[in-house]
Amino acid sequence: MNQLINHHPASFRDPSGFIYEQNGTVYRFVSTIYASHYSLLMNSGLAAELQKKNLLLAFSEATDNHLGRADWYKTLVPQQLPFISYAWEWSFSQLKDAALATLAVCKLALQKGMILKDATHTNMQWVDGKWKLIDTLSFETYTTGESWIAYRQFCECFLNPLLVAAHTGMEVNRLLLSYPDGVPANITAKLLPFKTKFNAVVYLHVHLQAKLAAKPATEQKGSGKKLSQKNIEQILESLCSCIEGLNLPQQTTTWNNYYSETILSETYLSEKKKLISAILADESYKSVIDLGANEGEFSLLCRQDASVIATDFDSACIDSLYNRLKKEKRKNILPLVLDLTYPSPAMGWMNAERKAFFSRANADVCMALALIHHFAIAKNISFGQLASFFASICKTLIIEFVPKEDPKVQSMLQWRKDIFEEFTVEEFEKAFASFFSLQQKVTVNGSQRTIFVYRKK
Amino acid sequence: MMQLLYLDPGSGSYLVQVIIAAVLGVIFYFKSGWNWIKSFFVKTPPKEEEENESAD
Repeated sequence: MNQLINHHPASFRDPSGFIYEQNGTVYRFVSTIYASHYSLLMNSGLAAELQKKNLLLAFSEATDNHLGRADWYKTLVPQQLPFISYAWEWSFSQLKDAALATLAVCKLALQKGMILKDATHTNMQWVDGKWKLIDTLSFETYTTGESWIAYRQFCECFLNPLLVAAHTGMEVNRLLLSYPDGVPANITAKLLPFKTKFNAVVYLHVHLQAKLAAKPATEQKGSGKKLSQKNIEQILESLCSCIEGLNLPQQTTTWNNYYSETILSETYLSEKKKLISAILADESYKSVIDLGANEGEFSLLCRQDASVIATDFDSACIDSLYNRLKKEKRKNILPLVLDLTYPSPAMGWMNAERKAFFSRANADVCMALALIHHFAIAKNISFGQLASFFASICKTLIIEFVPKEDPKVQSMLQWRKDIFEEFTVEEFEKAFASFFSLQQKVTVNGSQRTIFVYRKK
Repeated sequence: MMQLLYLDPGSGSYLVQVIIAAVLGVIFYFKSGWNWIKSFFVKTPPKEEEENESAD
């Protein structure tokens, strides 16, 4: 029997337990040092209530001590997640909802005599249309008089990036890529406009914290006052109402409202939708990755039982897709912000803690609609490079070719020298033929654009 | 305290929380007073159902 056990490289910070993988299943090891907290989590009814409210990832207990460790207490089998996304791939509303879910978990925990000891975005995932805490061992027994140990972490991971985004328009995904463990209060205080100093809640959670953080921890102690549970509840409540009130400043990017404003619009869009629907109906697939999804018009055509990842580099598009999915209760599509020319890198300890995007994502079907001319022309990426990239992530490729004569490409070439002699449909087909076999080739009515369906060789 | 094994003791930022709690306490005190007065004049609409509640 294969006894290959892989200790997950992102699971080492907490001594209470860790994640490991065995024969393709992910397990959670719970150590004896966590025993009392775990019993309270289960016996107080907290775990059951959180799961009922869709705030905690489902898990069951297994009886095997796979690792043969002496400090073994329990083995948990969490609901298996096909894909883990990171906060540097989330839009504003996604981070905001993850923050509110974290606070909701903590409030419920307090009612049951427990508290969150970790409040990081890496513990939250959007599963089946809900934000859920995935780390079962994030709880500990609450002792009256204690502060909220994860308060600073919560502010850095959620509140601060959201505040900066709401006040300056900076994107939360870019902020968190620079500060994967969260944006510190002193940086946030400098990024926020001066007027925020007159907002009592922002002053307390950010500006005051920035001032006090400059002092060494030892000087912070000894203020005799104990915090009551009511105090902690009020802190949670104030964080909650502050975050609920945050919104992105209204702005129109090049890409949101692309379909409603572009000259291509209406007939082109409806023709293309018809075509893609027909192509998808003929395919059998369980997973789809839609690259350059814009506001997700084509991701929404995928089968509802397939898991779809819809990516775009424009966070405003992803934000509006996310809000639409929430409203329409579509659970199978995960919208993510992704710049294909700078996809999320491998990060953390030994570059193994957080995986690179394309070592997590691959799919049965990849859709790349009205996408590659941006890479070929704006980024000088050759058809050969593009073909080999697509071959590495999918089995079936639905790709649109936009020729040079197209008004969109013409506008891209307007201000630059046309050095793209090889940008022809013949060269495109030649390059893709070395990795894929052609299944279908259809022109979108009313345009010069062509859709190709390719199967990987 | 087991969490201190892997988190630095300053990370709870105890002092900040004590100050925030004190200020929020004062705000809450005045707010509830104000709401008490307001309740004589304004009819409060019923609170909406919690959204995250499971529907299925």
